[in-house]
Amino acid sequence: MNRRKFIGLGGAAVAGTYIGMKLQKPPKVSDGPRGQSPVAILRARSYSDDLVSRMLEGIRECGLEVRGKRVLLKPNLVEFDPHTVINTDATVIAAAVETFHQLGASQVLIGEGPGHRRDTMDMADDAKYRVTIPKFESIFTDLNRDDVSPVHGFAGEPEFYFANTVLAADLIVSLAKMKTHHWAGATLSMKNLFGLVPGSVYGWPKNKLHYIGISESIVALNRTFRNTFAIVDGIVGMEGNGPIQGTPKPVGVLVMGRDLVAVDATCCRIMGIDPEKVPYMRMAADLGHVHPARIDQRGETLASVRNNFELMPQYRQLRLA
Amino acid sequence: MGGVYLESRLEFLRQNQNPDGGWGYFPGKQSWFEPTAYAMLALHGAPDSVQPLDRAWALLGSWQCSDGSFRPSGHVAGGTWVTAHAVNLACVRGVYDGNVHRAVNWMLSVVGAEHGLVMRAAAYFHLLETKLDVSHEGWPWRDGNASWIEPTVHALVALKKVAAHYPSAELTARVREGEALVWSRRCADGGWNCGNPNVFDLDLPSYPETTGLALVGLQGWPGEPLAGPLEVARRFRAETKGSLAKAWLAIALRCYGRSVDAPAETPRASNDILLAALEALAHPDGNHRFFQTPGGLA
Repeated sequence: MNRRKFIGLGGAAVAGTYIGMKLQKPPKVSDGPRGQSPVAILRARSYSDDLVSRMLEGIRECGLEVRGKRVLLKPNLVEFDPHTVINTDATVIAAAVETFHQLGASQVLIGEGPGHRRDTMDMADDAKYRVTIPKFESIFTDLNRDDVSPVHGFAGEPEFYFANTVLAADLIVSLAKMKTHHWAGATLSMKNLFGLVPGSVYGWPKNKLHYIGISESIVALNRTFRNTFAIVDGIVGMEGNGPIQGTPKPVGVLVMGRDLVAVDATCCRIMGIDPEKVPYMRMAADLGHVHPARIDQRGETLASVRNNFELMPQYRQLRLA
Repeated sequence: MGGVYLESRLEFLRQNQNPDGGWGYFPGKQSWFEPTAYAMLALHGAPDSVQPLDRAWALLGSWQCSDGSFRPSGHVAGGTWVTAHAVNLACVRGVYDGNVHRAVNWMLSVVGAEHGLVMRAAAYFHLLETKLDVSHEGWPWRDGNASWIEPTVHALVALKKVAAHYPSAELTARVREGEALVWSRRCADGGWNCGNPNVFDLDLPSYPETTGLALVGLQGWPGEPLAGPLEVARRFRAETKGSLAKAWLAIALRCYGRSVDAPAETPRASNDILLAALEALAHPDGNHRFFQTPGGLA
């Protein structure tokens, strides 16, 4: 970057992102919560693998207690294009529903509030959610059009509204897709929480978040919702011009953990991205662990699954050495 | 008139009016301005609808803020884009009082933030890494944010309809600016998405529903001919499976006097109140004329 650039809609946010990259120091090992965060990398070479077994193994590795909890699964449903892989695969969501039921959750719901398109159920149809996920319609809530309640102090706002289904959940599971992102560098389990914000209040897109700042909003969402777990669909991710127009990238992994910062840092390293150069991850260093010394890697080793994602020219400086 | 398709949707709306007079996005949920506005438009003139719609109008009136804007629901503070729906509803009901005038004035005071001085200066000095034309004044979802297609379109419909009652050079200028903004946001493929046709010099695709909405807003546009976009809308209408998109495209094409195939005589298939209302409005015998604005017939 040799001059300050503006991007137009959401431009202030993006400009802020670049500035943040220059001014912030990388997180230190001493930053973040005490101890280590377990992150599980499980092999799943295709969507026809036994994903429930993989998820049960990953959740066990990460020590998550589920029994009796009201669980909200938050997939990444953005748009549909039959030529690429924008959304969390339906089989991953179906497996998660089954997994959390097996683990004794009192309730397993699915909720999503897409950022651009308003016809959520038609997108869910296109993404084969209705035909793949048993009783989909009875357990799905369009978070863009749910009843809402205010939360005080979100990103410095006196009142910020969230869907009641979100606020009632004991555990929010970010079922993210492993993708590059043309504004944020990478979109993983932390960025996936954008879909918790109701369009009925903030519009399509949720432009208020752009004005707060994309990185700032990602961090604020993760600061607000701490009752979270991440399962990232990296069986087939997206590289290049993500999160919508990129190309499929088979990686063959599911990445899981209670510390979403650590999960996303791990995903970045798998994608060949240096998480310490991703602004929102640096800003979230007090919420979770970015530094590899503080991440207890379980399952597959990073080296065995690393698979560099193609990066847009604007983001090539994020490449992990 | 209307058959099973239209009547099943109107009956669904009648059955799901909340006790407070409004409609939620789904049965039994909190009342919101948007589904209430579309339900009111869909039911306007239907048998036995006067009292239910009077109750709905009273509820919406209670959501007007001191600055003239309207809140999106009784549970949310601060006015938003739904103020345009309030003005359109007032026109349909023939109400042109001081409250409506205050709503119009609020709409005229709100401009998309990308039109601010900093962004225009950046554009002037070629610092914008985007093809976006920030010289036009559109409308945001919420005051303080950027302009997008859908809120701009609803503002255009409302202001064009109310213009004869509150004429002003400012209103006329904002309408022309809003139309120019919509046109400037057209995607390379000929339609419109939510309002950002390009990122990092890469074109983004249009969506069918926002293409329909954009055409609704461009009725009477004195600029470029709309034959191309109308052809895109016709093609989208033939190809899309999306129910919401089909409804907006039908409304748009009917606003321009284009023929649109009547939907199959199928009963309502979802519990989506906003969708039911828009499908009713889009029906050949529905109230799609409430989105028609002066000069709209080609």
